[in-house]
Amino acid sequence: MEQTAERPDSAKHFPKRRYTGALVVVEGIDGSGKSTQLYLLKRWLEISGYRLHFTEWNSSPLVKSATKRGKQRRMLTPTTYSLIHAADFADRFERQIFPLLQGGYLVLADRYIYTAFARDSARGCSPEWLRNLYAFAPVPDLTFYFRAPLEVAVQRILSGRPKLKYYEAGMDLSLAYDRAESFRIFQGMILDAYDRMVDTDGFVLMDGTQPVNKLQKQMREVLQARVDLKRFLPEK
Amino acid sequence: MKRNRKKSNPGISPNGDQPTAASEQLVVVPRAPLKSTLESTEDLGGALFVLEGTDGSGRSTQIALLTEWLESQGFAVQTMGLRRSTLLAKDIDVLLGENTVTRLTLALMYATDFYDQLENRILPALRSGLIVLADRYIYTLMARGVARGLHRKYLHGIYEKALRPDVTIWLDVRPELAFERLFKKSQAISYWEAGRDMFLSSDLYQSFVRYQTMIRKEFDFLAKRYGLNRLDGERSVPEINRDLRKAIAARLHIRSTRYQPSHALAHLWR
Repeated sequence: MEQTAERPDSAKHFPKRRYTGALVVVEGIDGSGKSTQLYLLKRWLEISGYRLHFTEWNSSPLVKSATKRGKQRRMLTPTTYSLIHAADFADRFERQIFPLLQGGYLVLADRYIYTAFARDSARGCSPEWLRNLYAFAPVPDLTFYFRAPLEVAVQRILSGRPKLKYYEAGMDLSLAYDRAESFRIFQGMILDAYDRMVDTDGFVLMDGTQPVNKLQKQMREVLQARVDLKRFLPEK
Repeated sequence: MKRNRKKSNPGISPNGDQPTAASEQLVVVPRAPLKSTLESTEDLGGALFVLEGTDGSGRSTQIALLTEWLESQGFAVQTMGLRRSTLLAKDIDVLLGENTVTRLTLALMYATDFYDQLENRILPALRSGLIVLADRYIYTLMARGVARGLHRKYLHGIYEKALRPDVTIWLDVRPELAFERLFKKSQAISYWEAGRDMFLSSDLYQSFVRYQTMIRKEFDFLAKRYGLNRLDGERSVPEINRDLRKAIAARLHIRSTRYQPSHALAHLWR
């Protein structure tokens, strides 16, 4: 399948890598409901027998110990925070996501490079620097952006989580003394950064305040319209 | 240092005129090393000198000698190098041992290691007026990446936030001689020194020479692009050291470049 989205300038530094699979991504701040929706989409596709692979934005064993150490000792700067996560993502991308795309899989990703763009630019890294850093990753075939109002999303997280972690709450930015308050401000900055990408990166905007089943119906319709799903069904 | 004095007296411009606009005194350069692309060492107070060159070019020997010389001149010295960050130097060692890592991930791990040292150790040292001697810097990391097929612009983009050194010297040594020196030192050539991850040749010597030749070519390009000073690294240690002292002395306004190594370092002096 040919990629429809424009490649950013920085992506020209990498040879255009072709693949026969398709990459579908969900993005949005914590508590926006994206993971629930992707899970439901995955279940629907699995039950129907599609060839798919699901991947999450979490640490590969390779970089896990370093990331953990850096976070525990609070020694990560915005630059090293960004770089270590890029190394982590690169590992997962090169050894998992990309080979699967080449092998003709439908790859569903819970968060992708836009998570880094939003979060790290909120931390003060320049957007151009970040775009270059992730230039090896192709533009997804489809990106769903789940948008929920800040207070709704933050309440969902705060009510369900006993203690926010230091970097998760953006405490390294000295936004507020109170962790919950810092988290709220930080998530607001990330939300703004996401909003700025809606047009430039061709996100499909999903209203996270809608009922779960209604959103899922909409998500399935968009997927069917935008991605030729037939080729992920096993040949009979 | 001279320029520090100049800095501490901002009211008078170099040619003796009074500053014309009031704004000239009010301009405050925000201290935001994490965001700013180019913070110069001049703003910081210290000075950064970089030694670059392939494995076996004699960098570490020269750094040991330069450290002693600078300390004898009353300068406090801090060193940096590759894989020396507290954040993940050990993790890179493990990865190199396993060699299952891809070139891109490795390049990004090295970048993280580099910036951790720069931001957490080197910038504070420079702000305290220390002299930093770097045993390799971003240029080696860029050359290695390019040799492995990563795009120059990509690597340059990653390192654009790195502090530009006051002086960078490239100790140039032919790969054949570097091989000889390395072998003499450790009786072995490592997997990575020989660039064996690139499958250039099944023959160790051939692989080493080809890989180091690629690196050397890229250094030639980098030297032109970034103004690296090429120095013939095939001469004797005292000869090279004299040139290095001269370059550093000129920058730090040290009058005498005379130096004789102490007993502890005398064995390096040949």
